Amino acid sequence: MLTYLLLGGLTSGALYALVALGIVLVYKATGTINFAHGEFLMISGFLAYSLYVFAGLPYLISILGAVLLAFLLGAIAERIAFRPLMHANMVSLVLATVGVSFILKGSGRMLWGGRGDYLAFPPLLPPDPIIIGEIILVPQQLVVLAGAMVVMVAFALFFRLTRIGKTMQATADNPKAARLVGIRVEQVHMLAFGVGAAIAGAAAALMAPITLLYPDIGFSLFIKGFAAAVLGGLNSMAGALLGGFLIGVIESLAGGYIATSFLEVSAFIVIMVTLIFKPRGLLGLNAVRRA
Amino acid sequence: MSRAMVQVGAWGMLALWAAAANAQDVPGVTKDTITIGSFGALTGPSYLYGKLVMNGVEAVFDKVNAEGGIHGRKLVLLREDDRCEPAAAIAAAKKLIHQDKVFAINGGGCSNASIAAKDEVAQAGVPWLIFASVHDGLTNPVAPTIFSSALSASIEGQAQVEFAIKQNAKKVAIVSMRDSWGRSRYEPLVAYMKKKGLTAVADEELAPDANDATPVVLRLKQAGADAIILVLYPKPAAVFLRDSMKFGFKPLMIGQSAIGDPTAFEEQVGVPGATASFYTISHVKYTPDSPEIAKWRDAIHAKYPSDRLSVFNILGIGSAQVLVAALKATGPQLTREAFVKTLAGMKAIETDVFGAPINCAVPDHRCNRAPAWMHKEPGGPIKIIAVTPVD
Amino acid sequence: MMRGGKIAVRLLGPGPIGLLCFFAMLLLPLVANPYLLFVGTQLSIFVILAVGLNILVGYCGQLAFSQAAIFGIGAYGAGLLKVHLGWSFLLSVPAGAALACAVGTLIALPALRLYGLYLALATLAFAQFTQWVFLNWERVTFGAGGFRLSRPAFPYFTAGTGTFYIALFVAAILVILAARIIRSRFGRAIIAIRDGEVAAESLGIDLLRYKALAFGLSALYAGVAGGINAMTLGFVAPETYDLFLAVLLKAMIVLGGLGSIAGSVLGAGIVLILLELLRAFKSAQEIVFGAILLSCVLFAPSGLAGYLSTRLDSWRERYVRAFSPLQAGAARDAAEASSSASPVSGNA
Repeated sequence: MLTYLLLGGLTSGALYALVALGIVLVYKATGTINFAHGEFLMISGFLAYSLYVFAGLPYLISILGAVLLAFLLGAIAERIAFRPLMHANMVSLVLATVGVSFILKGSGRMLWGGRGDYLAFPPLLPPDPIIIGEIILVPQQLVVLAGAMVVMVAFALFFRLTRIGKTMQATADNPKAARLVGIRVEQVHMLAFGVGAAIAGAAAALMAPITLLYPDIGFSLFIKGFAAAVLGGLNSMAGALLGGFLIGVIESLAGGYIATSFLEVSAFIVIMVTLIFKPRGLLGLNAVRRA
Repeated sequence: MSRAMVQVGAWGMLALWAAAANAQDVPGVTKDTITIGSFGALTGPSYLYGKLVMNGVEAVFDKVNAEGGIHGRKLVLLREDDRCEPAAAIAAAKKLIHQDKVFAINGGGCSNASIAAKDEVAQAGVPWLIFASVHDGLTNPVAPTIFSSALSASIEGQAQVEFAIKQNAKKVAIVSMRDSWGRSRYEPLVAYMKKKGLTAVADEELAPDANDATPVVLRLKQAGADAIILVLYPKPAAVFLRDSMKFGFKPLMIGQSAIGDPTAFEEQVGVPGATASFYTISHVKYTPDSPEIAKWRDAIHAKYPSDRLSVFNILGIGSAQVLVAALKATGPQLTREAFVKTLAGMKAIETDVFGAPINCAVPDHRCNRAPAWMHKEPGGPIKIIAVTPVD
Repeated sequence: MMRGGKIAVRLLGPGPIGLLCFFAMLLLPLVANPYLLFVGTQLSIFVILAVGLNILVGYCGQLAFSQAAIFGIGAYGAGLLKVHLGWSFLLSVPAGAALACAVGTLIALPALRLYGLYLALATLAFAQFTQWVFLNWERVTFGAGGFRLSRPAFPYFTAGTGTFYIALFVAAILVILAARIIRSRFGRAIIAIRDGEVAAESLGIDLLRYKALAFGLSALYAGVAGGINAMTLGFVAPETYDLFLAVLLKAMIVLGGLGSIAGSVLGAGIVLILLELLRAFKSAQEIVFGAILLSCVLFAPSGLAGYLSTRLDSWRERYVRAFSPLQAGAARDAAEASSSASPVSGNA
């Protein structure tokens, strides 16, 4: 029983990790949380579906197309909604991103909502369960896991090694100083949002066979992903991965051993406990008292 | 008195007289229109049971209007959003009744919202034909003007238990959602099982947006259940069936009308063969692909180009046809009292989609008592196994 | 000429306008149908909620998302005491408010260590947790379907009209109270906390005490509003007190003006009118709501009261002059950025 619960937890944790990675990426590069991240995921998923089912494009091309469109969407959103608010207070920023999320959700509902309840997106690998000894997995879950690891490693290297990556970090660290050394802060932000949305797009394509596509999928995944990001440390990509897995496992264990109703609420209890005892997250550094 | 004042006075009297004259008219009925109100979720996750059903209703209204309306009056549908939320439903009902002054209501999506609005509608004496809400409390205690064309929760629960018994299930388990829809089905189900002397060997729970059902499947497997009654929406049910296949757990799976489209469900589960033992109930005896309702498929597609005919539309189509039949039968002198009286006396309303003719001449006003059992061979066509009328 | 102009400006001030609106509302039951009366009652409830929230967020700078959940605790408290113990509304509403206040004050404890985004997330988690309790503690709260309450009985009025007047009077009293409190020592202390905690502490302001008071006061307002809401609807259910409502409340204070009591009242009105107007959009409501929210935040960041304060002197003088949401926000975020700067380097 325990093995299965752990495995189940890791697989749903991989979903949360994928979402968290996108959130952390945007935070690392811009210092803001995009509350519409879940909706970017939803729209990209629907776009991939449309490209595959209506336009009849090949599977991988549809996914690629969705990722590119998501990138554009993210960049546009940054230009319209986030850039003007970079200096406003936190509440306004949150409300702006919430506004964007409503626009996206409503559009998703209008454009794709009338096709029935939940849309099925075909998986990357054949869906028959794989049995490895005692462990039984649905192949797509492995794909999601692999996807999460690939994204994490890719972006960890990106931030550490490439020039653009370092530029992004510098911009988030101190926008004024970055500007002084000639970094085009606005462009960096736009790029960051675009990439964050693109990750959401890739995540959607990988996840959709498991979670199914519907207009409201964004929010619940976002909340868990956000929880995972905070748990791991908002500045840490590795933390996002770790946080995602932890939340998935805790949920699964709580659901298995306590009561299934605990499955929904354990993520929130985890957030509350983490924030009280380790506000900067497991892999973030300790809090500095602000002036 | 100056001339201006006399003029104002005269206009004022005219206005008052006009208002008084109007006040005697039937609310929502004019010489050439009948206004029908509808509340349900237009936004939010439960929009399926609100917006899509209303789309079906409007498709029927359009057809009827194209044929000249009802005794020369065109039907107009006024929609209000309740977001599947009780307070919003109360507000929506108040608005439709007191502000928009509709003649009757053909609506009711989420059960919890409809229950909250029930008092408002009942007290105002407005006729209400419920099209999707299933909560028993809507028709028990019965209000004189409230009827339901949706299979009520206890009717479906009864049908599910009977089906399990008929299939010789020895160890029945229940998996349900703990939200208000789930509770409204769960309670009558358990009560009926008790009546039949049955106890569930396991009673599990899944969240509406669950992505993993491993703990539930493991516990059910341990309990040795051979038939599972699913009180779930399609998504958690799909996740449950998928995870059951993972563990090689293949009991009889008994669904209900929320999972009313076996073809879509097979796609959603995504694992070949997983739905081999899945049987489900539908309020209506056709699925979106059935050739018999091709004309409605076309109507929906024409009116809402980005939509595809779904079970929810079909539900609205049936309900609206009941409403239209009753309006026609009431005759040109249309009042709320006459309408309610007519509807309460109609024993066999034919519709294009319901399992059996609709009979509203029943004391509990549950007009639809014919659950249609459906089964789809994986990769094969959908078969209606039976339409089992319940009393 | 000048004097006439000055008097006109004075008359356009928040005080006189507020008085005018109050009297107009007194007359509403004479002309309104039950639906409009219901909307009017909602307005009073929103006003109470918005003013309470503004005390916490606008004046004290605590970015809390828990107001909707505490609103729910007030409603459940009042409703459950009535249904389980048979108390009348006269007793159960204050009791529910007291419960809400107690819970709200407790939130202040973890809030001592959390700022900005982290406080937002923690209070959001708390709100979800509270909804889960409403949903799952079936023995007490009746669980998912919620429960029905009998409407209060009034001697000369219908239940609807009576509740409307109670809501109106309570709202008026609480608004005036809030305006007084803000001008008191407590008000100055919480504003100091908002503008710089370390500096405030160095001035001898006890952070724990004042934050707890701010949270508690705001929760008290929410609790009272909750009890009145239970009275108005005659129904209490978990779904009503959800995150959508939390977003609406935040919208009220931002659109009206952070750090302004009159702004809170205006904001409540604006959002209510907005919601009613949105009805016309039927299925497109979400898109329109999002677009309006976004535009308002982009183009009117200091809210309606902020805008009016730049045009009419009477709106500026009455409230704390130094406050400007943009300045305070920027200062806070600069401090936040410099403190979170250290974790950035050296992490994947």
